[in-house]
Amino acid sequence: MNAGALAARGRFRHPVSAYDQRSAMLLLAPMLLVLLAVAVFPVVYSFWVSLFDLKLTRPLRVPFVGLDNYAHVLRDAMFWASVARTAAFTVMSVAAIMLIALLMALLLNEQFRGRRFLSAVLLIPWAIPYVANALMWKWIYDSGYGALNGLLYQLDFIDKYMVWLGDTRKTLALIANAFVWKEVPLATILLLVTMKSIPADLYGAAKVDGADVWRRFFHVTLPMLRPGFTLVMIYETMMAVRHFDLFFILTEGGPADASHVVAWEVYVETFRRLSFGTGSALAYIVALVTFLLAFSIIRTLGRKL
Amino acid sequence: MSEISSRRIGRREFLRMSAAAGLAGTGLAPFANGAFGAAGDTLNFFTWSAAVDQVKSHLSAFEAKYGIKVNYNNAPWAQYRETMITKFVGRAPLDVLWVSDTWLPEWAEAGWIAPVDNWPELMKYNAEANDFCTQSMLYKGHQYGLTYYTDYMAFFYDEDKLKKAGIAAPPATWDEVVEQSLRIKKAGLSEYPMMLSMARETWLIEFMSALVFSHGGHFVDDAGNAVMADPKQGAHGALQWVVDAVNKHKIVSPACVEIGELNGLKAFSSGNHAFALIGRYRIRTLNDPQQSQIAGRVKQALMPAGPGGSHATVGWMRFHGMTAQAAADKARAANAAKLIEWFGGKADGKYQFQKILFLDVGSGFGVKPLFQDPDVRAAYQKYADVVMVEKQQALARKKDVISRWFGDWDEQNGTAWQSAIVGKASVEEALKKSAQSWNDLKKQA
Repeated sequence: MNAGALAARGRFRHPVSAYDQRSAMLLLAPMLLVLLAVAVFPVVYSFWVSLFDLKLTRPLRVPFVGLDNYAHVLRDAMFWASVARTAAFTVMSVAAIMLIALLMALLLNEQFRGRRFLSAVLLIPWAIPYVANALMWKWIYDSGYGALNGLLYQLDFIDKYMVWLGDTRKTLALIANAFVWKEVPLATILLLVTMKSIPADLYGAAKVDGADVWRRFFHVTLPMLRPGFTLVMIYETMMAVRHFDLFFILTEGGPADASHVVAWEVYVETFRRLSFGTGSALAYIVALVTFLLAFSIIRTLGRKL
Repeated sequence: MSEISSRRIGRREFLRMSAAAGLAGTGLAPFANGAFGAAGDTLNFFTWSAAVDQVKSHLSAFEAKYGIKVNYNNAPWAQYRETMITKFVGRAPLDVLWVSDTWLPEWAEAGWIAPVDNWPELMKYNAEANDFCTQSMLYKGHQYGLTYYTDYMAFFYDEDKLKKAGIAAPPATWDEVVEQSLRIKKAGLSEYPMMLSMARETWLIEFMSALVFSHGGHFVDDAGNAVMADPKQGAHGALQWVVDAVNKHKIVSPACVEIGELNGLKAFSSGNHAFALIGRYRIRTLNDPQQSQIAGRVKQALMPAGPGGSHATVGWMRFHGMTAQAAADKARAANAAKLIEWFGGKADGKYQFQKILFLDVGSGFGVKPLFQDPDVRAAYQKYADVVMVEKQQALARKKDVISRWFGDWDEQNGTAWQSAIVGKASVEEALKKSAQSWNDLKKQA
């Protein structure tokens, strides 16, 4: 008699004893306590803080203000301007990541000499820490000695060194470019894994039906990539909305307010102005928006998963 | 909900402590170990991580002389304000600390640091200190420490480039800076002859203040009212000069909004520019052949004057202060005052610490007699004109925007100036916005 048959007869489905339950709880308790302390408590407590006008530099007056901090943030024109910039940054970043990752995944899905080497090289940006990535791009974009100017000048694309991050029309796009460079590898891997799971029979059947390469791509590959796309879009949107490192190291929100995004506003409010109440309210709003974005993406793209 | 009751104090304490703990958790605030409160003759001394070896050496001499043990700790400058505020809020043991003039109103108003003007042995040093240094340590009529380091924004030029362009003397006015820059530019010696750092960083207010003061302007008047938007006595002339220099004359790179102080120094020391606005202490680096391609060619001139302005510049200073918790304990306060004098005043009859800092790392000092010290003069002679250094220092003024709301305003003001420089706002709009921000913050405070 095999295990499946035994299970079907219920011989392995004896009721869990109270002793077992207690043991399980006892074994889980330490981890549960750690989770409560490092995850649940800070989240709940930061909401509590957001209900007070808590400014560290004014220690003798911490009035309870209810939801005033939230109202203050939502009335602030600067906040809405930063939301618009965050949205622009997110849209251009996620769109570029998805397009480049798709092309990379299609390439790596083919068999050719050097494919493994290329796959390994592709992972390098992903392996670089965010701060190191930001410092590298700061050097690349520097208007005085940056590698970008050097390259373009040597290739005769420009006749004098250009201003990059200092030009408000380019700032956000340049930061998005640095973000895309870092994020494309992970997105590529996720799409490649999804691509590998597409049954070969589907392509065979499409060929029999006379579908050319474009039709196979649009009618087989793309629809079957939907789960991968959904995952990439949710993850990268969340990363882009909350991204801080590049803004901190490359521009500090400037020049003027060209890169003053929501994540930067949260930092300035909390750690420069030391307004923990408003900073917590801002952080909660960002978390809520991120959640709603992820939820709506799942609802629209993921319903056929 | 703002009245204080014992229950509410408990809750607030909890909030504050938790916020402090949160900061500590980010690594910004390494709490001092153990006991809350100094014991016996032990003092707790905290600085930012500068000249650590010199501090330790000078401390050893102090401990040997007075038999007072000192626990010394430090934190990086970039996180120092947050670290100290966390310590204050968390009531970490602190007696003597380094304070920047920028934070004085905030810390004094919160009751974290205490005046030292009831110590005559400390006040006597004011007679020998530069006036702007003493002024920078005053808040609401009380003095909060003794200076140990000071410096100012200086105007440097590359003598070689000026000679090649046929210019006999450095510019005395900002108009002459434009005129000479255009000549240098025309001669093909530099694309952007004037180097200005206008990036969003803590240095920005110093660059702005030097420009404003030399144009005869102010950000705020003596009563603390915003006047920066006033075309007659405000910052208009200075900001207009920068905007024109970038956009009209093209003698300052439009990249100035992304160039910080350090990158500006690198750019000037690599020979890209003819003129630069940089901290005085950088001249040692600029004339060091190991670190600069224009070593030996960098000279200092008085800050150019704007129309109706003067050669005034902005000075900044750092001082040794005493915490309120030390001041509350007579014995600790007496020991703390001794430590402050040892570092900020004279040790064994001499300004030893300031002199060590100057000779070892090139830091400026705010005590006038040191300019006559033979060792100091000999050191200066290697890379700068000590007469010019002293002359300009005498014209330095404290920043007029130092207030409890300075940090908040500084963010807005930096954005406003950059907006004008990159052409997103007019000079008038930018300064109006800056003034509005000042008034709002003042009202809230």
